Amino acid sequence: MGALLVGYSPHRDDLGALDLACQFARSDRVGVHALSVVPQGWPTPVAGDTDRELQEWAAGEGSAAAAAAAQYLATHDDVQGDTGWAAGRSVPQALLDRARSLDASLIVVGSGVQVAHGQIGITSKTDRLLHSSEVPIAIAPRGYHAEPGTRVNRITLAFRGDDATRSLLHRVADIAQRTDASLRVVTFAVRSRTMYPRTVSGAEDMVLTALIDHAKAEQAQARDHLHHLGFTDNTLAFAIPVGRTWGGAIDSLDWDRGDVLVVGSSSTHRLSQVFLGSSSSKIIRHSPAPVVVVP
Amino acid sequence: MSASTSTPMPLGEQLKRRKPIVFREHHHPGEELGRGLTTFQLMMFGVGATVGTGIFFVLSESVPEAGPAVIVSFLIAGLAAGLSALCYAELASAIPVSGSTYSYAYHAMGEMVAVVIAGCVLLEYGVATAAVAVGWSGYFNELLDSTLGFEIPASLSTSFIPGDDGVATGGLVNLPAVVLVFLCMLLLLRGATESARINAVMVIIKLSVLVLFIVIGLSAYNADHFNDFFGSGIGGVTAAAGTIFFSFIGLDAVATAGEEVKDPQRALPRAIIGALIIVTCVYVLVAIAGIAAKPAEFFGTDEAQSAGLSQILNDVTGSTVWGTVLAAGAVISIFSVTLVTLYGQTRILFAIGRDGLIPKKFAEVNPRTLAPSFNTIVASAVIAVIAGFVPSDYLWDTVSIGTLVAFSVVAIGVMVLRRTHPDLERPFRIPGYPVTPILTVLACAWILIKLPGITWAIFGIWIAVVVAFYFAYGRRMAALNHVSDLEEIAESRGDEED
Repeated sequence: MGALLVGYSPHRDDLGALDLACQFARSDRVGVHALSVVPQGWPTPVAGDTDRELQEWAAGEGSAAAAAAAQYLATHDDVQGDTGWAAGRSVPQALLDRARSLDASLIVVGSGVQVAHGQIGITSKTDRLLHSSEVPIAIAPRGYHAEPGTRVNRITLAFRGDDATRSLLHRVADIAQRTDASLRVVTFAVRSRTMYPRTVSGAEDMVLTALIDHAKAEQAQARDHLHHLGFTDNTLAFAIPVGRTWGGAIDSLDWDRGDVLVVGSSSTHRLSQVFLGSSSSKIIRHSPAPVVVVP
Repeated sequence: MSASTSTPMPLGEQLKRRKPIVFREHHHPGEELGRGLTTFQLMMFGVGATVGTGIFFVLSESVPEAGPAVIVSFLIAGLAAGLSALCYAELASAIPVSGSTYSYAYHAMGEMVAVVIAGCVLLEYGVATAAVAVGWSGYFNELLDSTLGFEIPASLSTSFIPGDDGVATGGLVNLPAVVLVFLCMLLLLRGATESARINAVMVIIKLSVLVLFIVIGLSAYNADHFNDFFGSGIGGVTAAAGTIFFSFIGLDAVATAGEEVKDPQRALPRAIIGALIIVTCVYVLVAIAGIAAKPAEFFGTDEAQSAGLSQILNDVTGSTVWGTVLAAGAVISIFSVTLVTLYGQTRILFAIGRDGLIPKKFAEVNPRTLAPSFNTIVASAVIAVIAGFVPSDYLWDTVSIGTLVAFSVVAIGVMVLRRTHPDLERPFRIPGYPVTPILTVLACAWILIKLPGITWAIFGIWIAVVVAFYFAYGRRMAALNHVSDLEEIAESRGDEED
């Protein structure tokens, strides 16, 4: 199992991704590799070496960023961290290349500066990663902070009960056991708004009831399966949060420090790497905890 | 009751079996139903749900039947609809479950009646969706013609089945209507809903274009058109009332909102009667304006068949501007009517599927979209076929017959329930009992007997199919057959509001 790869930019003023990576690394007993990507010179040799100055500047930036990352990683002294920089024309592509060469198991990124503190934002770079990555992507909320020594205590899995999320359940159960985290399986039940003019009363409650019944049955199956894998009721929880909106349903769960939310990217099989899925993106936007998107 | 039997229940007993009223102990979280609606809001709600279902198309069907006396037909249909809505309100308040006429019938009058009502309601909503889509197609074509200067050719915008007059149509399929139904299906599959706010906008659009029509139509007032007022006789007037009844569908939406008003006993009848008066006034004024502007013979022509109201405006003003405005308003608002009616159809199928009378697949919710996908696709496909291939002449009468029969049964059900369950809590009790329900049945029956034979034949065959399906499938598969724990069939109260 390879190290965790973190995309780090000293200009972003956000150390959440580094903190989150260390938290994961501590739980999974692996190392962290922080990578900063700097602009690349022209690949063809230019007469007179005119872009040498750019390359020198980029190298200076890169090593400064790597040093800054190393300095911060040192505060998590129980995690084995190393840093590096790479020149590339596309930050996501450089991260993906490095993830492949390191055989990384996870890419960790931050939320950018477009969202409010504590919220998860999908930057254009993250978006590209989500489309192309073969390994899971972890996104730290903006301003995320994990004290040295923090681990992942509980993994919350967004479980829909279809084939895609069932296979995801299997993989997440494996990770939960490896990292000694407890597992919480949740199925979000969001009630549609009533259609007006309303010709059938209570119609959406009726649909919601069916949805909840379906979720209960799926979760009962999942529970049997997980017990079989060695989970006990102490390390396993189930929930069907109900809400009028995704945000409401997510807020109705209790969230603690040390929680991580896992979502699948989409069940649209061949396109699974391209689309995040409308439910997943709504869940991510409202999640108060770090999110791992599994392709 | 423990109906968990291995031996089948005696037939007579099963046909009379009523679904017990059980509520979920754990109510879904979320605010409890606010009894927040005022009488006025409820009234507007009824107006919004009713206006627009049929008024844009119904004159071209009913004026040839009744002549200028179609105005009286509107009053008769309105009276029957209002009385029915009052009866419906009592049944809905006595049985506070979610659903439509079908659900109330299952709880109040037993499985057999519920099956028949299910047939009626499916006819009401399914065929109404198709009929509205066909009407939309006419206005859409009119709008294309007056704005872009081309029309979808008749072969692709009319059905191949000849109408009442038996003249070949030269058509093949009503493509715009089919496309409209599928567009609405896609919206529903995506879980789209039309909010109260959009509904309010639609109501304003509908009322505005109707007022436009009334004003312009009356400006061309020609008293000669009202000569020979009762020329078609009482038979013609009643027959037209049957066709028109369709345009009052939606008034019953008020009846199911009893839980949401502060003082249902006072507010419900006021809201229903208020909405009825407003709607009837608008309709009668539209009819007067139409007849004032055009001789009764005009309404029977092909020209009046599609986009009739637009045509009248064009002829009266000599310019296409106002006709285009009306057509645009109709195209927008009828789209929403189609969406809402199709939605109603899917949710009724959902309720029937949940009770096991049709395959459970109809009560499945797609966990991805949180909408009943299978149900929506099947219902839309069937409705699209009807909209594409059946001419509107047959559709409207068919909707009316389904609704009228359902409402008669509701009125009878009110009387039955008063006798069998006199102690049941009824937040709303119908005024003037037992005269009102009896009057309702008589009014419905009077209109019913004048509906054409072909409508009765279609209705009879459909109900026979439904009942046969029940004996072949529903009787064995009904959810009530397998109930061991009442919580299994418990349901949420019909008390949502957004």
